Amino acid sequence: MTNKNAYLSAAARLQKMTMCVTFAVIGGSLVFLVTAVLLLKGGESVGPHLALLGQYFPGYTVSWPGSLVGFFWGALLGGILGFIFGSVYNKVIDLKTNNTHLQ
Amino acid sequence: MNNSHISDTNKVCIIGAGPAGLAAAWELSKNRIPARVFETLSVPGGIARTEVHQGFRADLGGHRFFTRIPMLNDLWQEILGDDFLLRPRLSRILYRNKFYNYPLQIRNVLSNMGIIEASLCVLSYLRVKMFPPEEIITFEDWITARFGSRLFKMFFKTYTEKVWGIPCASISADWAAQRIKNLSLREAVKNALMNQAGLDRKTSVTSLIEQFHYPRLGPGMMWETLAERLTESGCQVEFGSEVISINHQDNRIVSLTSRRNGTDVTCPVGACISSMPLSELVFSMNPAPPDEVLNAARGLGYRDYIAVNLIIDESRIFPDNWIYVHDPEVELGRIQNYKNWSPEMVPVPGKTVLGLEYFHFETDPEWNWEDERLIERGKEELNKLGIAKTARVESGWVTRVPKAYPVYDSRYKDCLAVIRNYLEGFENLQAIGRNGTHRYNNMDHSMLSGIYAASNILGENINLWDVNTEEEYHETVDASLEEAVELVLNKIDPTAAGAGAAVTLGLFMSLLTLFTLYLGDESTKYTLSLLANYFYGYSVSWSGSAVILLESGLAGFLGGSVFAWMRNTIMRIIIS
Repeated sequence: MTNKNAYLSAAARLQKMTMCVTFAVIGGSLVFLVTAVLLLKGGESVGPHLALLGQYFPGYTVSWPGSLVGFFWGALLGGILGFIFGSVYNKVIDLKTNNTHLQ
Repeated sequence: MNNSHISDTNKVCIIGAGPAGLAAAWELSKNRIPARVFETLSVPGGIARTEVHQGFRADLGGHRFFTRIPMLNDLWQEILGDDFLLRPRLSRILYRNKFYNYPLQIRNVLSNMGIIEASLCVLSYLRVKMFPPEEIITFEDWITARFGSRLFKMFFKTYTEKVWGIPCASISADWAAQRIKNLSLREAVKNALMNQAGLDRKTSVTSLIEQFHYPRLGPGMMWETLAERLTESGCQVEFGSEVISINHQDNRIVSLTSRRNGTDVTCPVGACISSMPLSELVFSMNPAPPDEVLNAARGLGYRDYIAVNLIIDESRIFPDNWIYVHDPEVELGRIQNYKNWSPEMVPVPGKTVLGLEYFHFETDPEWNWEDERLIERGKEELNKLGIAKTARVESGWVTRVPKAYPVYDSRYKDCLAVIRNYLEGFENLQAIGRNGTHRYNNMDHSMLSGIYAASNILGENINLWDVNTEEEYHETVDASLEEAVELVLNKIDPTAAGAGAAVTLGLFMSLLTLFTLYLGDESTKYTLSLLANYFYGYSVSWSGSAVILLESGLAGFLGGSVFAWMRNTIMRIIIS
């Protein structure tokens, strides 16, 4: 492997754990925030559609305690998706680097 | 120089037993030509020698052994073997009572500067990138064009002016171009990013090399060993022998007159290699050169140097090899901690020897101060900086080094051209080394010029004035690697990002559909089926999960690729 290829393959990688944590924070925050916004807006029926998330996230409701439960599930889901994204990204980079070597 | 003009290679005389002169003698000795080396001082090494005082050793400013020239690495290893240590480098900048790591680390810089000052630095940088100066003539122009005026004032102005004793606006941009070429904010940021990403440090720029070789007992050990080996091989290395006259006739150097213990001796010369300061070489020529050449020699400037070495009753003062002192409140330019260069520089456990570096001209009043007064000033400034308390300083000694640095002022190029033209008229005279060519070389290039001079005597035809004049400074990384690093840092691979997003989003949407189907809640199924507004043919069904796998995968690929492309474009704009 030439130096150039070594650097290309090394640097093009994403750290899977970093992606995992980043997506987890984004996912958790997203669920928390959309819940919080609806709660702050208030009204007679708060978030009937968002409440359907409870089907996927056990314990989730459109309430302040529910927003924390939502944060947990959102973070868990986000973390898994981040990990998958990082893994696939790195796999593609590996494939591209190997092709470069063959050339 | 053509070797056919050398009448007697046994009479090769070398002026100066510094790295360049010794390297020339070494190369000749390998070819069984015993040279005669004249050295004014009583020890070898020139301005790279090691001073010894009561068993404590001090370098003259700290000489890292680092080169990209394999031949010199081999030579150093051959001479010292196991005594050639590999040492870690730590150096920091002391400015306004705060230590800035060098190489720069973003977190450290931000925490020291504060977010406001850091933002102002970035704005200043962006300003100069948007409105670059039309002409780059001076050091100040060169640095400001690369870093912005705010960082120039913070990290370059005071220290550079301490070192050179003249305003940055009077220093030629050549100096910066030679010494810190490729070091730009982009390089610094790149380096910081790469360090944080844990990438290989081999890509670092010149001043950022993190390890270096160093002789166990300081650089003097290298030169002393080399001189001993030369003597064993039949060379004459004459210490305390000052060349006072270089006698020439018919465009040839015919003899040298040296003074030793008050006695003048003249010896015939077949070929002469000089590492003495270029101006002194010109003044030593007999008969004297034309007035134009003498005036050019007078026009060459030098910066002189005072080392105040203090023995301190403390085992550990700071972890750095050296600290750059940018504070304008003190005269001190740099502090060397020789124990951190090699533990054996200090013979007594529990003590430390610090080298305080002051940059002066010989005409400055400080140059003639008593040693005690210089030591007192050093103690006071160390105390003021909070480095070491005055009471812990046990003793010290002072070394004055005239002509330590060739000055690249606005006149030097013209002066150098005149002198070079004059010297090239001599068939058997070659100038080598830092002061010998008035070029701010490190040890490796000085030695290389000596080896080349010897090679010329052996039949090669190498232009010594071209050593270390390449555009790219020798310690910087090679261009192809630079390109690779640049590609790497600027690039999130769009294809990979697209693929990652496609798989992630496609799987997520497909599994969501299947899970909803499994749950069977009609309300949830209805809500999810609204996605059909965006994904053609979608429904909450087995076939729908396949449809959305494909379609959301495609959307993810497009989204990921566009994101990567935009990120790459923005990064390029920011750091270009």
